[in-house]
Amino acid sequence: MEQYHSIGTTADWVVMVFYFLGIMLFGTYFSKYNRNTTDFFFGGRRFSWWLIAMSIVATGVGSHSFIKYSAKGFEHGISSTMTYMNDWFFLPFFLFGWLPIVIYTRIRSIPEYFEKRFSPLARFIATIFQLFYMVGYVGIGLLTMGKAILPLLPQTMTILGVTFGINLMGLIIVIGFITGVYITLGGQTAVIFTDLMQGFILVFAGMLVFVLGIRYVGGFDQFWNLLPATWKLPLAHFNNPPDFNFVGIFWQDGVAGSIGFLFMNMGLLMRFMATKSVDEARKAASFNVLFMLPISAIVVGNAGWIGKAISVANPSMVSPNINPDSVFVVIANIISHPGIFGFIMASLTAALMSTVDTLINASAAVYINDVHRPLRKWLKKKSRSAKEEDKKELGAARIASIVLTMLGVVAVIPFSKFPTVYEAHGYFHSTLTPPLVTAIFLGVFWKKFTPAAVIATFLGGAALMIIGARYPAVLISPFDHGTFMDAKHPYTYISALYNSVVCVSLGVIVALSDRLLKRTVQLIKRNSLHYFFMSSSVVVAVLLFAAILLNLFSLELLVISSILLTLLIALTATYFIKYDPEVQTTGLTAWSMHKAKEMFKGGKINEQEGKIVKVHFKLRDDTNDYVNLSIEDMQKMAAEVGDLVYVSDARKYLGGLKSFHSKIGEPHTENGIICISQEHQKAGLLKKSKILTAEKEI
Amino acid sequence: MPSFFNTWLPFIYLYGVGGLFFLGGMIIIRKAKGIDMRLKRHRFWWKVLIFGFFYFMIMHALLIIVALYW
Repeated sequence: MEQYHSIGTTADWVVMVFYFLGIMLFGTYFSKYNRNTTDFFFGGRRFSWWLIAMSIVATGVGSHSFIKYSAKGFEHGISSTMTYMNDWFFLPFFLFGWLPIVIYTRIRSIPEYFEKRFSPLARFIATIFQLFYMVGYVGIGLLTMGKAILPLLPQTMTILGVTFGINLMGLIIVIGFITGVYITLGGQTAVIFTDLMQGFILVFAGMLVFVLGIRYVGGFDQFWNLLPATWKLPLAHFNNPPDFNFVGIFWQDGVAGSIGFLFMNMGLLMRFMATKSVDEARKAASFNVLFMLPISAIVVGNAGWIGKAISVANPSMVSPNINPDSVFVVIANIISHPGIFGFIMASLTAALMSTVDTLINASAAVYINDVHRPLRKWLKKKSRSAKEEDKKELGAARIASIVLTMLGVVAVIPFSKFPTVYEAHGYFHSTLTPPLVTAIFLGVFWKKFTPAAVIATFLGGAALMIIGARYPAVLISPFDHGTFMDAKHPYTYISALYNSVVCVSLGVIVALSDRLLKRTVQLIKRNSLHYFFMSSSVVVAVLLFAAILLNLFSLELLVISSILLTLLIALTATYFIKYDPEVQTTGLTAWSMHKAKEMFKGGKINEQEGKIVKVHFKLRDDTNDYVNLSIEDMQKMAAEVGDLVYVSDARKYLGGLKSFHSKIGEPHTENGIICISQEHQKAGLLKKSKILTAEKEI
Repeated sequence: MPSFFNTWLPFIYLYGVGGLFFLGGMIIIRKAKGIDMRLKRHRFWWKVLIFGFFYFMIMHALLIIVALYW
């Protein structure tokens, strides 16, 4: 494959440097809105849907990058868009299941949900899976960024008389360093606002490539007629070739990837958690999937389609053997002028940086919430004042961001072995998402899903997935839908189906065996050595898992071992874990949403639909967390004393940046006036002269 | 002319199997009362969800027809 170097001119580099400086200054300005760890990680739950919807574009487009979709667009045509247009199937589950639960339970991370719903052990295992997933995602982002920048650089560089070669790994280490420094300075509010700006710029840059490309090939008709018929189809061939087929990608991306992205991508969830209400989060999510994803599909893939048309018309200009991951950079350079190319590349790399930033920020949140705090609690560290604690945690979060970036760099090594970023990302999704996705899904939508079942899903599922990866011809082939097994990278995509089936099956079987398990545990407890017996079972389970991991047995024995492992996990979990199905499902599953809202509010909910009122504020002397509105204004809002209220600067273009949440206190008689505390004014960054809006939440 | 494996089979599979997931989701959120049809706002969301499914289905069908015959 042909690898390009030294693409671009000095003008392009100047534009890129200025673009990056501008973005960094922009982000640094918004970092002043981080007052504590809640703001640093979640942006303070205050933003409007449109702001979050646009900021998600940069994250989504950045992660599902220009590089990988242009590569597949070049190799297979318009079917590169299919992964952007198959996310709707899981929207009902997300919008009215997982999303409100995440917001109403006030969880700060997915593993925290597992502790509330199941047990601390389930949280511990979920943390490991979650961090693996997020660090892997950081790795994919860094690899993509490296592949985007590599063609711009020369093969060797001389600094202070020392000449050194430029390779992908070296470049990724430098990128990782810059990204890590940037995120530790900013925080979530900074990321949201830089992403907002970049969302607009990215769509513009991608469309610019499309328009310039169409003009370059001589108009749309010429472009369309140059493409082979199969290149024009929106969906790939059903089961061929192994590196890009419909059925594999449906299960890998449409099912595992979509659920993974919506349900376990903490970076994305934190964006939704930064919206002012659940309804705003729903609007942001559905607007993104309905409108922004189809546009993004064109934006990220069109360089590949243009490249194909140029290579058909003029193979000497774009070689059919070009490294597919270089297509975007090469085509952008061919069709644009110096300076414009720099702008396109700057917007691409800055967006990738946004994706990686978001993920590092989210991973640091998981670290603080699920490792740092539980560890401090376990070590029984003396509690400091809340302010001092927050300061220390912010410091720990910054160190965690740097360490996680370094782990992301290490994660690049296995991913770089795949021919394209697309396949590396596909393999990553197929392998890492099924256990956690299954656990979240069954936990949220099935009340009978028990701690024993969730731990069996995690560990038994992982064991069977490991065996499947070792013996794909035997275990995964029954699910392959006729796709060919590439010996080098067997079943990159369709393995997602096998992995999901084994995880779901184990989870369901163990959950349905709950009564049997409880009876067996009761029988064991009659023996005086029951504790010793169950503790020994844990040791045996650990040894079995190690044996499976190290591939110590034949296939038959490995499968038997994994079944035995699941059985032991189910029994020991039932024996050791204290679980109250009534308490631990209330407000934590889709079946008790009303209760979740009540728990969120701390009282009876008021779902009467009212209006938004415009008010001026007056300051009270106390620091109590409630606001006072007039009787008439409260009637317009259909609000009652004790209801949750969202107060914001009325200027809509601020998108809720200047706002705060509170409760409604006793009413007064002065219409158009809201009485707030000084703390509210400080939290909402409110100015005396500005009009505010007050809106009842629940 | 591209084969059935390249054109309508992926479409049928996508909206057949994907449709089962979607339908399952709609039934569960309705039964669980995650979506409360007594609320005007939730009735709106119910319509948006159904619209979204057919919006993508029609878009894909049109794109296949355009690719084959235009």
